[in-house]
This record gives sequence, structure tokens and C-alpha cells, in this order.
Amino acid sequence: MVNAIHIISAALGAAFLLGVLKEEQRRTAYAITLAAFAFMTAVSAGWLWAFVMEGAAPVEILTAGGTPPFVINLRMALPEAALTLLANLTGLLSAIYLKEALFAHGRRAMAVLLIAVMALSGIILTRDIFNLFVFFELTAIATGGLILLSENDCSLSAGFKYLIVSQMISVFLLIGIIFAYHATGTLNIDGLATAAHDLLQGNNQAALGLKLAFFLMFIAVVAELKPFPANGWALDIYESAHPAFSAIFSAATASAFLYATDKLLFIGGPDWYPIATGIGIVTFVVSNLLALPQTNDRRQLGYSSIAQTGLVLLVLGQRDILGEATAFIAFGLLLSHAVAKAGLYWLSGLVAERELTAWAALRERPLLVFAFVTFIAMLSGLPPFPGFYAKWELVHLLAGADRLVLIALILLGALVEAGYLFRWFGYIIKREAPAEAAACTTHKLTAVVVAAAAGWALGFLWGDLAGTSFGRGNLLLALPLLFALGFVLFDWLPAWVKNTVAIAGMLAFFGLTYTEYDPLRLIFAIIILIGGPIILLASYHAHGRRIGFYPAAMLMYAGLAMLIRATDSFGFFAAWELLTVGSYFLILRGKNSEPHALSYIVFSLGGAFLILTGFALAAANVVSPAPTFALASLSQLEQPAAPWIFVLLAIGFMTKTAAIGLHIWLPGAHGEAETDVSPMVSGILLKAGLYGLFVLLMTMGKQQLYGIELTHALLWIGALSALLGNLMAIFEEDAKRLLAYSSIGQMGYAVFGLALMNHLGWLMALMFVINHYIYKSMLFLSAGGVAKRTGTRDMYKMGGLITLMPLSFIATLIGIIAVSGVPPLSGFGGRWIFYNAILTTDTRLPLIIIFLAGPIAFLYLFRLIHTIFLGQLKDEHRRIKEAPFWIILPQMIFVALLMVFAVVPGLALRHVDHYLNQFFPEGGLNWTSGTITSNYGYWDPIAIMIIGGVIFMTLFMWLLFVNRKAQKVKQFNIVFSAERPYRPETTHFAWNFFASYRKALGFLVQPFVTRFWGAVTDTLHTGADLARRLYNGNGQTYALHMLAFVSIIYWIYFIGVGI
Amino acid sequence: MDYIAMTTGFILILIGLFGALTNRNILRMIVAFTVADTGVNLVIVGVGYMRGRTAPILDSAVAAADAVARIIDPVPQALVLTAIVIGVGVTALMLAYAYKLYEKKHTLDIAKFTELKW
Amino acid sequence: MVSRFFVLLLLTGVGAIFVSLMFGYVPDNALNLTARYYAENTVRDTGAANIVAAIVVTFRGLDTLGEVTVLFLTAAIVGLVLAGSQQGRLRREQPAPGELLVTGTRLLVPLTLLLGVYVFVNGHLTPGGGFQGGAILASAVLMLLLADPLREFSHQLISAIESISGLVFVAIGLLGMVYAGGFLDNRILPLGTLGDLISAGAIPVIYSFIGLKVGAEFSSMMVNLSETEEP
Repeated sequence: MVNAIHIISAALGAAFLLGVLKEEQRRTAYAITLAAFAFMTAVSAGWLWAFVMEGAAPVEILTAGGTPPFVINLRMALPEAALTLLANLTGLLSAIYLKEALFAHGRRAMAVLLIAVMALSGIILTRDIFNLFVFFELTAIATGGLILLSENDCSLSAGFKYLIVSQMISVFLLIGIIFAYHATGTLNIDGLATAAHDLLQGNNQAALGLKLAFFLMFIAVVAELKPFPANGWALDIYESAHPAFSAIFSAATASAFLYATDKLLFIGGPDWYPIATGIGIVTFVVSNLLALPQTNDRRQLGYSSIAQTGLVLLVLGQRDILGEATAFIAFGLLLSHAVAKAGLYWLSGLVAERELTAWAALRERPLLVFAFVTFIAMLSGLPPFPGFYAKWELVHLLAGADRLVLIALILLGALVEAGYLFRWFGYIIKREAPAEAAACTTHKLTAVVVAAAAGWALGFLWGDLAGTSFGRGNLLLALPLLFALGFVLFDWLPAWVKNTVAIAGMLAFFGLTYTEYDPLRLIFAIIILIGGPIILLASYHAHGRRIGFYPAAMLMYAGLAMLIRATDSFGFFAAWELLTVGSYFLILRGKNSEPHALSYIVFSLGGAFLILTGFALAAANVVSPAPTFALASLSQLEQPAAPWIFVLLAIGFMTKTAAIGLHIWLPGAHGEAETDVSPMVSGILLKAGLYGLFVLLMTMGKQQLYGIELTHALLWIGALSALLGNLMAIFEEDAKRLLAYSSIGQMGYAVFGLALMNHLGWLMALMFVINHYIYKSMLFLSAGGVAKRTGTRDMYKMGGLITLMPLSFIATLIGIIAVSGVPPLSGFGGRWIFYNAILTTDTRLPLIIIFLAGPIAFLYLFRLIHTIFLGQLKDEHRRIKEAPFWIILPQMIFVALLMVFAVVPGLALRHVDHYLNQFFPEGGLNWTSGTITSNYGYWDPIAIMIIGGVIFMTLFMWLLFVNRKAQKVKQFNIVFSAERPYRPETTHFAWNFFASYRKALGFLVQPFVTRFWGAVTDTLHTGADLARRLYNGNGQTYALHMLAFVSIIYWIYFIGVGI
Repeated sequence: MDYIAMTTGFILILIGLFGALTNRNILRMIVAFTVADTGVNLVIVGVGYMRGRTAPILDSAVAAADAVARIIDPVPQALVLTAIVIGVGVTALMLAYAYKLYEKKHTLDIAKFTELKW
Repeated sequence: MVSRFFVLLLLTGVGAIFVSLMFGYVPDNALNLTARYYAENTVRDTGAANIVAAIVVTFRGLDTLGEVTVLFLTAAIVGLVLAGSQQGRLRREQPAPGELLVTGTRLLVPLTLLLGVYVFVNGHLTPGGGFQGGAILASAVLMLLLADPLREFSHQLISAIESISGLVFVAIGLLGMVYAGGFLDNRILPLGTLGDLISAGAIPVIYSFIGLKVGAEFSSMMVNLSETEEP
């Protein structure tokens, strides 16, 4: 192995060598620079390889031929190898990226860059506290130089502000070092740690001096991590410096300083963990909040960098409970942050304008969009990236130590961060792209691509580590996920090819696995893996390549498939996040869906974090702890934790079923989605939440919290969702939104059925799972087909389409008959089971509410037929044709399915009914011979179908008979007179159709919930906007912040806590 | 008496910081920081001082054999040399910055350079 | 005024920390672990009479390398910062430097240079060393600049001295790894007799190059600053 000191000597040698060159020999100088970086990277990489693959032992590097503490020593071990590799690789890539700037500024700039990166390696390697100071100063000075590479004039003042602050830091650091040396007689970090440990036992004068000295050193090093509020200078640097330098500053510098902090914590010992935690969490949460109102991309990234550094500091401060997992978690978070942030800063150099919305320039380049997605997923801690595994272990270990407030704060900060990152992604995909797409020269692209590739490689590595150390699965080995990711590689193929592959893949997966499901899961599996392909048939109508659709859709399906196959909490949660992200990308594809997709992802991630907390608490409170927490173990949980876990998980799942109060994302998300996406996210995705509730209730059953029966609360939520969802639907003019609101109501029914906690209730919920999939997919497709042809979704702009789109009409008609639950279709079966189910319970009021919801559903369903297909044909629609074949085809399949399911419901339900016996032995149905019998009566679907058919045909014949002499009247054989109305739609008979009901019931559909969540976000925004004025741009104020920070920590620690 | 150097050093640091935080003129701030730096250096040397001993240089006055009993702690002396040089470097850098800042806006008032904020 | 009050308040806090530090300060009666080692073993390990020099150049040589790098860095950055502002030959009118200054410079520059060289060559024996010597060298350049502000110095030469000295320093450090105990070990040359000019291994060599380098760096900064235009 090459001695690690050559990282330093090579950089210095190259830097000095550059000085010998003539100013004009820039090419040579640049070659020397790159060669030096490459060498430094190779040395670190070699060591990393040796430690990881060959299990090499850590190496002490002594200088001057003596022994520490009398000479300076460096250490090369696994963390050092990883961190120096990070620093040197970032340096190498930034140097490649900076080609133009370095050529413009000449060899001096190259020397400064080399020394900057070398100094970071020095900080990482050294084991001498004063040597650490020297490297600190080198970093500071080099930073002061590299800031000037920027073309932004303001960088000058940013650099000066930084120098002011770094002067203050060095004052504190030096004073601290010299007093620590005096107290311990050594400058060696390991020696200091030992000496400090011995000295601090006593409570004498010297111990006090050492504590203070340590305080000063610690505070100075922590100040370099840009803690809130002493970080205004860093933000200015991030905003104004060259992005390639910001990449180093964010990725490598922050990592090096974190490692320096770790060394100091090693000296100080557990006394200092709480303060590190405190500084970390405050910085993490506040910085993320302050990032919310940002519009400048680099400044926002700066806030995010500071926040992430805070998070890692917090992890370092929690090492007393994290124990051996500390490195796994800290490095998982740190590397995710570093790679993603470097990548994002490099990307920002490709975008001309500094507004976040200007990033729409990336849109035309799928590769860059993919890189961006990789980076924000890494930052948000989504699977399969290291941050995800780290977050999982972190929350679990914190839950094990009952540090719940900390969990809440971490997840709050993470949610806010994900919020603004995904908002940004929405801008890229949806905002108006600037005239010129992002400029990308090869060398700049290289840096971005390497970062993205590194992200995936780290994801794999962390999955592997999680597998070996904690018994988790490596997500990047999961077949469904790999299948979905394969579509990223083959996105250049035409859409029909990908569609065929997707359908075949899903069916094949079902074929491979269908023996492994129990009857309940089988129903979900069929809906996902058979139902999904049926909806995908509609996707054949799309032409071209449809970039981005298939990776997103397949990610969602992969998540769903993994969800129902998961047996432990980790697999379940990972799948949950995957399907959430996949569906977010799908939803975002809709024309006007930017805000809705954002609220979807924020609600979903919020829900996911509740689920995560729930699982973490569950794993911590289970009677017999195991490395992996099987979902079945939920049943072992006991008071007092159990009901809380129940609440967390239930709320988490209900964000997906859009229970009332958490529903505001749904109408927009489902309504604005593309024609073939709406049925996927409505018909299939919503079932994920129901599946979660099934699992929850199956294992945990009834729980009491403060005397409240929690399933009773669910009953109320279900009933209210049903009522209000339906009510909101009747006032809707937009056909797809109407269907979306209807889903809220339908899911309310299903939740209600589940919460009944009896056999028939569950059967009914399952019936809803199946029925809702069929008819909602069908209705969405038919509404989508109509919208496609008419160019609008507003129903009052349509009418009389029955003759032009007869097949769509039939699908809609069958659909609404099924939804409204009248005989003879399968909806009736659902109702029948439902009435049977509620007769067995003793809760009256929610029962009445859910009864009320029934007729209301009919009000809105009837409009779909009445307004769209009946009435007067609009002039502009005179020439439209039936919806495209591929959109009609699945609808017809659904019609057939409904018919079959109506006649032989036992096909699916019989097995489930039997399966449910193990949970509720009482109250099952009797499935003998075509007739289904319950305690209250019987249901003969075939007879009903025959009777219904006879009645229908009789009436139809009679209608034909009485109308045989009717005279056809042309639509326009009357003459309009008088004025042209100001708003033409108001004259349409179907406009505001239920105005009279609105007078009576309107108060129920006031957007209270929307207003509530709106107020929450507004408060966050306004608060953050006010708070960030703290950073007034004045270097002196920043220095003042620094002093205030030092004083506050001092007072908290020495006066408040009093050690 | 041992404390005189140290006290003076600390007072210089406080004076320096006070000056840096209250003077809006960039040049005055830089001067103030050099005062603070001097204070730090004084403290470092003060910490290494030991009453009744001599400089850590072996010559006819101090033989190598009895150095342990005769000399003061040489480490702070070595450290202070490094600290001084680094201080000089930073000061030079700040001066160059000050020049550039003045060139840009024709003012040395730190409060005028607040384009970057929030 | 309010801000001044805040500053005073906060500085009182910092002052409190300092007071507590002094309260916790226990003067040593004997050398501590590290210092004791140096006092006892410097001669054996390095052969230098000036223990501080031995620490600076050898025991804590990495610090010194960093320190030299700081100056190199600063000189480079000052050059970088001022690059856009230098007009090469200055057109502005200068007041005449005066007879006294010009003659004094002529007399003093050679002496100053000699003193500088003396100081760094004897760094391992007497108080002084590379940094002090280098600063003295640079003061000669300063005098020249004062006497004739328009005098042109060869940037290339200064830069070459600076860089080559730096390279030699690193190279000697690396030689230490090959021929002695580690990076920057001074025992690649014989230690000689304590107190001789040629003794203490590589220390005088390193110190001489440090002196040259520091002198070049200070000169480079001053020349760069003097060549800038009146803004």
C-alpha cells in the first residue's frame, strides 16, 4: 500500500511544482493538477480496498522517526480511507468540472485547489490537535481563495465574511488547544483523550480548566460545521461561490469537519454527547425550515447542506445508544448527503439562472433528470439509498432508548426537506422551460454522472451492509425493484415495446409467485399483478417513447408487489416508500398536477414517517426482541405501547386511503393524472393503505387508548369519510375529480367495514377492494377517454355523447350501477354483505351516517350519465369519435369482469371467507350451491341477475314500443334569442346541478381541512421567512452570531447543566 | 506575576474582538483582528512560561544534561511560531480582500456589502 | 448603540470564559510529559541545540510544512485576488523617495540580506530560524520598494525560488522516509557535533530553504500589493 502521507506530499509537491511553470503553460499545469488528484484518489481508494476487501489493520503513520505524542502521527483506518476517498474524488471531479475556470485563473488557482483538498485529507488523517488546527487554517485560507473562482461578484464579500468568522474560530481554537496542552501535557488526540479521562475524574481546579479548554476547542470545531445560528457566512458562500467549489465545500469540507468533531468528541467523552445532539437537531430542523421560502437554488442547497451536517452531528451525539451502529448510520447519512449535494451543485452549474424554477432547463435531458431524482431521493432518505437504511436504524435505536422527541424532530425536519426538494422536482418537470436547455459539456457531465453512479453503488453497498449487520434485505437485489429500474436503462425504446414488457413481466411475476400467497394476499396480488396489466392495456394508446412513464409506473407496481410479499417491518416499509415515490412520479405527469403531486408526496411521506415510528416503537416494545421484526409480531405487543403504535400505523395507512382530514391531496392527484394513470392510482394504489389496515387489524385487533376503543374511532373516520367524500363529489363539475372524491367515500366504506371487526365487515371490505378496483378503473378510463375526445373534464361542457361514444356510455352505465350497489351487479353483493355486517354491531350513529352516504353516492353517479351522455350534444362535439380502442378495451374487460363477479362472487370471496374464519370464527357465510346465506337472509346472485335482466328488458321493450312513433327533432330547430350570457356555462342545465342541496348541506363541504393544512404550511413559510432575516448579510452581524452561539452554549452547559 | 502575560493576552483578545465587532471600517476590523491574534500569541507564550527558568536553547549556559531542570516548556514556543505565521497569512489575505472590496464599491464600510442575505 | 451594548454583553460572556480558564490554570513546577521528552532527547534525536528549532523543523515538521504552505497559499491567493487589478507598469506620479532613503537602502540592503541568511542558517543553534530569516530577507525587498516604488521584480524568479524551496522541503521529507525513520526525519544527514554550524542533520538545510521560501513569499505579496493601482 502506498503510504497515506503521500496524499499530502503529492498534493504539496504538485502545488509547488506548479509554481515553477510559466504562467502560459496552463495545459501542463492542468495535467499536473489532475494527475495529482488522480494519484491522491488512487491512494485512498487503495486503502479503502485493503480495509474492506482484505481486512487490513489500521495503520499509524509516524513522522520524523519518533513516537507520538512527541511527533505528529497520522492514522489510516477504514473511516479515514472512506473520507479521504470522498474528499479526493470530489476534488478530482471538481477539478475536471472547473476546467474553464482553472484555465482562466491559471496555475495559482490550481495550486490553491490542490492544497484545499490536501488540507481536508490532513484534517481527516491527523491525530494531533495542533496539526488539526494547521490544516483547519489551510482549509480556511484555501476556501477564501477558491471562493474567488466564482463569476459572481458577491463572492468577494462572502469570502470576507468567512475570513472574519474563521479568525474568531481560530482564536477560540488556539486558546483551547494551549490550555488543553497545559492541563494534559500532550497534543496527541489519543493522549488527550486518556489524560482527559483521568483528569476529569477529580473535580478540582485543573479539571475545570481542562473542561473549559475542551469547551473552546469543541465549540470552535463545531462552529465550522455551520451550526444555527452562527452560519450566515456559510450560506453566503454556498450562494455565491462557484458550484464546483460549493460541491467540495458541502461534500468534502463538511465531512472532514464532522470527522474532526468526532475526534473531539472522542477526547471529551460522553459528557459532550448531549450538547452535540442539541446543536445538531436544532440546526437540522431550523435550517430545513428556513430553506422553505428560498427561491435561489444554491442558497437552498446551502441550507440543506447545513441541515444534513446537523443531522450527522446529532448521530455522533447519540453514539451512547447507537453503539456499533453509529458508523453505519453516520456514514450512511453523510455519504448520501455528500454525493447528492456534490451532484446537485455540479448540476446547478449547468443551469443558467438561479431561480429554482429555471431548473426546468433540465427537462429536455432525461439523463440529468434521472441524476436529479437520484440526488433528491438520496437526500430525502428514500430507498434504496444509504440514507434510507441509516434512517431506519437510527429511528429504531432511538425508539429503543425512548428518545421520542428526537425522533419527532428528526422526522419533522426530514419531511420539510423532502417537501422542498420534491417541490423543486415539480418545478423541473412542470414549469415553463427556458428557451435554451441546460448546457452540458462532457467534462461537466462526467462529474454529475459519476456522482449519480456513486449514489447507486452506495445504495447497493449499504443494502449489503444492512444485510450482514442487521439482517435486513438488500433492496437492490429485490427482483421487482430491479425490473422497475431496468426500465430506466431501456427508456429509449418505443412505448409499445415497454408496455408489452411491463405487462409480460407483471404476469410472469404473478405466475412465479402465486402459490405463495394466502387467500387474502392473493386478492391483493391479483389486483396488482393482473389488474395492473389490464389497466396497462390502455397505455398502448400512447405514441412515441413516453419517457419516464414506465420507470415510475413499474416502481409503483414493484413497491406494491413487495408490500404484499413483505413479512417483516423493514421490507414492508421499504416497499411502502418505493410505491409512494413511484406513484408520485406517475401523478406528477398530469398536465396541471404539480401542486397536487407535491401535496401527495408530503402527505404520503408524513404518513410513512408515522409508520416508521410505529414500527420502531413496535420493535422496541416487543416481548421477544429479534433482529428483524416480523409483521406477525405486532400481535405480541402489550400495553401501554400497543395502542400508540396502533394509532401511528393506522394514521400512516390512512394517509394512503385518504381518510377524511388527510384527504386533501387525493382529488387533485387523481383528477389531474393522465388517462391511464388515474385508474392505476385510484383502482390499485389506494389498496395499499387498505392492505396496511388489514395487516394492522389482523395482528393487533382491538386496542384501547384512554378508554377509547380505537377501532370505534376508525369506524367514525370511515363513516365520516364516506359521507363527506360523497357529499364533496356531488358538487363537483369535473368528471375525474368527481370520481376522485367518490374514492374518498368508497375507501371510507372499506375502512368502516374493517373497523367493524367482524367477519362480514371484513368480507365487505374485501368486496370493496375488488369492486372498487374494477369500477373505479373503468369509470376513470371512460371519463378519461371522454375527456381526451372532448378536450375538457367539465361535465357541463358536455352532453349527448351517447350516440357518439356508445361504448364509453355502456362502461359508465355499468360502472355506476355497480358503484351505487343496486341489483343486479356486484355492487349489490357488497351492499348486501355490508347490511348484514352492520346488523351485527351495536354502534348506531356511524351506522346512520354511512346509510346516509348511500343515496348521496347515487346523486353524483347519476350525473355521470345524465350530464355527459344524455341531454343536448354540444356543437363543438358534433364530430368526435369513440374513445381510442386501447382505452375502450380494458373497459370492456371490466364490464365482463363485473358481470362474472356479479354472478359468481364466490369465485374470489369463498376462499377469503374461509380464511377469515381463523380471525372471526363466528358469522361466516354459507356458500353452498350458488346461493349465499347469512344469519339474516340469503343472496342468490344468479336469480338476481335473471330478475334484473328480465325487468330491464321488459322496460326497454316497452320504451321502444311507446316511442315507435316519436318524431326526431333536430337539436337546433329552435331559435335562441335575447342576449348572449356573460358566463355561458351558467345557462347549461347541468351546471351547479345540486345548488339546492348546496344550500342545505354546503356547510359540510366547506374546505375546512384544506384551510387547516393551508394554514399550517403558510405559518411555516411565514415563520421561516421572518426568521431568515436573522441573516442580514452583514459580516459583523455574523460575527456577533458566532459570539452569541459560543456564549449560549457556554451558559447552557456550564451554568445551566453545571458539570 | 505569572498571570500578567496571560491576563494581558486575554484583555488584548477582548479588545480585538470588541474592535472587530464595533468598527464598520474593514481596515480597522483587520487591525482589530491582528490585536486579537497578538493576544492569543501572548497567552500561548504565557502558558508555557515557568518561573525562574531559561530559554530552551542548549549552549554554554545550559548543558544538555540539566536541560530538564533549567529550561521552560519549548512546545508553546514552537506552536506560537506557527500561530504567528498563520496569523500573518490570514491578515495578508484579508488585506487583499479589503483592496478588492474597495475597488468594487469604493467604500470600506462592512455594512455596505450585504447583497447576499436571508 | 444597541449593537454596541450587545457586543459588550457577549464579550462579557467571553471574558467570563477567560476568567474561568485562568482560574482553572495551575502553573507547572516541572516540565510536563512532552516537554520533558524534548528536553532530554532533542540532542540525541536531532542534534540541534535550539530545542524549539528541533521541534519546529523535525518533531512537528508537518506543522511547519503546513505553515509554509499557508504562506505559499496566501501568496498565491493574493496574486489571484489582485490579478485583475495589476497594470504592470504604474503610470501614477510618485513623490521622490528622498536622498536619505535611497542611500540608506543602498547601504542596508546587502547587510540585511546577510543578516537574514545568518539567522536562518544558524536556526538550529541560536534563536531564530527560517521564518525569522525569511522575514528579514523580505524586509530588504521592502526597503527597495520604498526607495523605488516603480522598481520591477521578476515574478518568475520569486515564484521559482518559492516553489523550488517548497519542492526541496517536500523532497527532504520524503527522503526521510527512505533513509531515516519517517517523513521529515532529519537524520538523513549526520547529526554532527552539538553546537556546530554543520550539525543537526537536515535541520539547517530545511531551515535555509524555509528562509528562502518565506522571503520569496513575503516579497511576492509585497510586490503584488505594490503593483496594484490606486483604486
